Amino acid sequence: MARSILIPFGLAAAMTFVGALASTSSLAAPFKCPKVGGDFVFGQEANVNSLDQMTSSTISTRNVAMNIFEALMSRDESNNPITDLAETMTESADGLTYTFKLRQGIKFHNGKPMTSADVAASWDRYKRVANERNILNNVAGWDTPDAMTFVVRMTKRQPTFIEFISSFSQPIVIFPAEFKDDPSQQLRTVGTGPWQLVEFLPGSHVRLKRYDDYVANTKYEERTGFGGYKQACFDTVTFRIVTEPGARVAGLKTGELHGVEDLPALSLPELKKDSAITIVPLENWWVQVASANTSQPPTDNVKFRQAVMALLDMDEIMDAATDGNYRLNVGFQYPHQPTYTDAGKEHYNQKNAAKAKKLLAESGYKGEPVVLLTNKDYTSMYNAALVMSEQLKAIGIKAEMKVVDWPTSVQIQVQATPSPGWNYFFTGYGTQPALGALATMNFFMGSNPNYKPKEGGADPVLAAAWEDMNQKVDPKERQAAFVRMQARIMDQAFVLPFGALTKVQGVRSTVKGYKPFRIPRFSNVWFE
Amino acid sequence: MWGVALRSILGAIPVLFIVSLITFGMMRLIPGDPSAVIGGLSATAEQLAQIRSELGLDEPFLVQLFKWYGGLLQGNLGKSILLGQDVVEATFVRLPVTIALSLYALVITIILGMTSGIIAALRQNTLIDQIAMMVAMLGISVPNFFLGLLMIILFAVHLGWLPTGGYIPFSEDPVGWLRTSTMPALSLALLQMGLLARITRSTMLEVLRQDYIRTARAKGLPGRLVVVKHALTNALIPITTVIGIIISLSISGAVVTESLFSIPGMGQLLTQAVLNRDYPMVQGGLLLTTTFLVLVNILVDIAYALLDPRVRYEQS
Repeated sequence: MARSILIPFGLAAAMTFVGALASTSSLAAPFKCPKVGGDFVFGQEANVNSLDQMTSSTISTRNVAMNIFEALMSRDESNNPITDLAETMTESADGLTYTFKLRQGIKFHNGKPMTSADVAASWDRYKRVANERNILNNVAGWDTPDAMTFVVRMTKRQPTFIEFISSFSQPIVIFPAEFKDDPSQQLRTVGTGPWQLVEFLPGSHVRLKRYDDYVANTKYEERTGFGGYKQACFDTVTFRIVTEPGARVAGLKTGELHGVEDLPALSLPELKKDSAITIVPLENWWVQVASANTSQPPTDNVKFRQAVMALLDMDEIMDAATDGNYRLNVGFQYPHQPTYTDAGKEHYNQKNAAKAKKLLAESGYKGEPVVLLTNKDYTSMYNAALVMSEQLKAIGIKAEMKVVDWPTSVQIQVQATPSPGWNYFFTGYGTQPALGALATMNFFMGSNPNYKPKEGGADPVLAAAWEDMNQKVDPKERQAAFVRMQARIMDQAFVLPFGALTKVQGVRSTVKGYKPFRIPRFSNVWFE
Repeated sequence: MWGVALRSILGAIPVLFIVSLITFGMMRLIPGDPSAVIGGLSATAEQLAQIRSELGLDEPFLVQLFKWYGGLLQGNLGKSILLGQDVVEATFVRLPVTIALSLYALVITIILGMTSGIIAALRQNTLIDQIAMMVAMLGISVPNFFLGLLMIILFAVHLGWLPTGGYIPFSEDPVGWLRTSTMPALSLALLQMGLLARITRSTMLEVLRQDYIRTARAKGLPGRLVVVKHALTNALIPITTVIGIIISLSISGAVVTESLFSIPGMGQLLTQAVLNRDYPMVQGGLLLTTTFLVLVNILVDIAYALLDPRVRYEQS
């Protein structure tokens, strides 16, 4: 385990821990590959369109690119912010300056040594092209006082700044300064990570090879989350795009694929009997949800939304949505996370038809159509909508399914408020709950594909709590604000959180050290 | 013959123009655009608007259309929004993969389809005829996706003869190409084989009943010579038409086959482009694919002229 002092979740703003981090270097026995060599072939379900980790938020891009690129800060196994390319990070007492000392001896895959000029260029590009560049809204600028120091100046104190810049959603990955003008989606794939790009053929495969000049982070002795002490044991890793689930299962069985993601539930009983295959469930992959359209009748009526919330049998919905690979889960964080709260649990999975009917009558519902907007690109979303539709019909709600493809459903969603044509939008909160409460609650600030407030602005109770989540220096106060937010969302039934979906992966039994995570990690993994 | 070729080429120009116009219009008519894919689940309306602005999607339809045609006249089909790669470059990497696969399927189709059609015609109303037509009907009826899955289970999982998927270019390793392309080509060919076998059988039956065949036989010509030289040559004209159609079917059928066997061809590229609303890629990719199919049709027209002197005579 890491011996370094990790930045505790939510405490980033309060720390001035440069000395503590710096003093923990040099370990006795860091991880060493028991065996080196081989080509690990991973069957990936979705196509990779781009490896520009700075501008793509797709999971398929992250799966590959996060093995290639690194950032100043990242997240550990428990989602705590940690330093990665930075040796240390210091926050000034007034919270207006962050100083990053860079790790020595880091080289890019093109052999060029990394300096603060590369970091500044990478941040410049992020501010120019990244979709999530608003995380730098409170940043006044950055300086490079010397080749190994990078200083960020803030316009105002932002206790959550470190939490944002350590996010893996669209991380501020560091690349050689000469690439800073690369257009969006087209960043050249040269990073500092343990794997470097060999070949990328969209629709077919991506091949990486071990970067022999990789400098591991010696503050750790093991891989942790996206960071830690990483060692490439395989010679090469090949991501093969296998979109058909049956073909992924066949590839895993024959041994052509050493690891695959998203195994179909129907194949699991047979695969579990195969001693050559190890099933590795990745729990809490996303929170399956349906967002209510509060700008359209009848879901603009809180009583109606509460009636629906009171009615739903989450077990039935999640079972159909995931073929049994789920866990009931209150709210928007998972129990293993420090920010987890069961606030609002009284509203969850009530299965109370009598209460629902009473609330429905109070809402004045007159049999208007209730449109469930879903898609077939994600089977779990479609199935969840199908079951919910039947449950609604059972108490006399005129539920109608509107099935389109994913880009269309988002397009319908982003229409200006009021957004006509739908009442519940089926989606999954994946990356955000994994990143933490702050990232997830961001959904409820202003209109976005996941939340449609009535007047285009946030609910006043949510807005006040959000302000506290962002501005309170004391992490306990920030957590209390999150509890208030979740309780409010559940009470007002702005969103229906059905439960946590488990994504099932599988590897050949000869593969050792593989542990499922938000991305398939190939460092510290080897063939027996 | 040159007249046939020239007339076909001139006729192709309005076809390509109409195809490009329809593709451009259809992509703009269907809801959803690339901003939803690039922005992901968490994008706000402002972020999506910004992406649309950066991509020029907020410009009026006609402005976008004229810009695209302007680029087209200069040989520039634009850049794929999601791949960040020139459309022409992306197409020319993948089109040869699909063409190679389709040609392999075509070879299987012609050998097996024509042979079984001829044999069925020569052995009309026998058990052989019935078996051949039953297999043909099965090929037409069973979806190639399902056939492909069955082949994976049999040839890859149980017998271990062929890989479950992937693709090795012929230029890199001809044996590897054969191994990775055989199952996809077979699954494509089985559908078309049925079609070709039935057409060949009915055409051959019609020709075999002609007076000149009876005359040839009466002259004492060997049966094989009658079939090959006199019957088959005359039956080839409708069969050539069907082969032209089969090539078009192979290209469109490749969409499913390439996805199932993880082959990086045009089918998979265009499917992804449509799903991701990658406008330049769909517009340019379809135009280039259509151009290829138009060329195939021109070759079919020329083949008519070569096979049938009457066509040459009419043109002259």
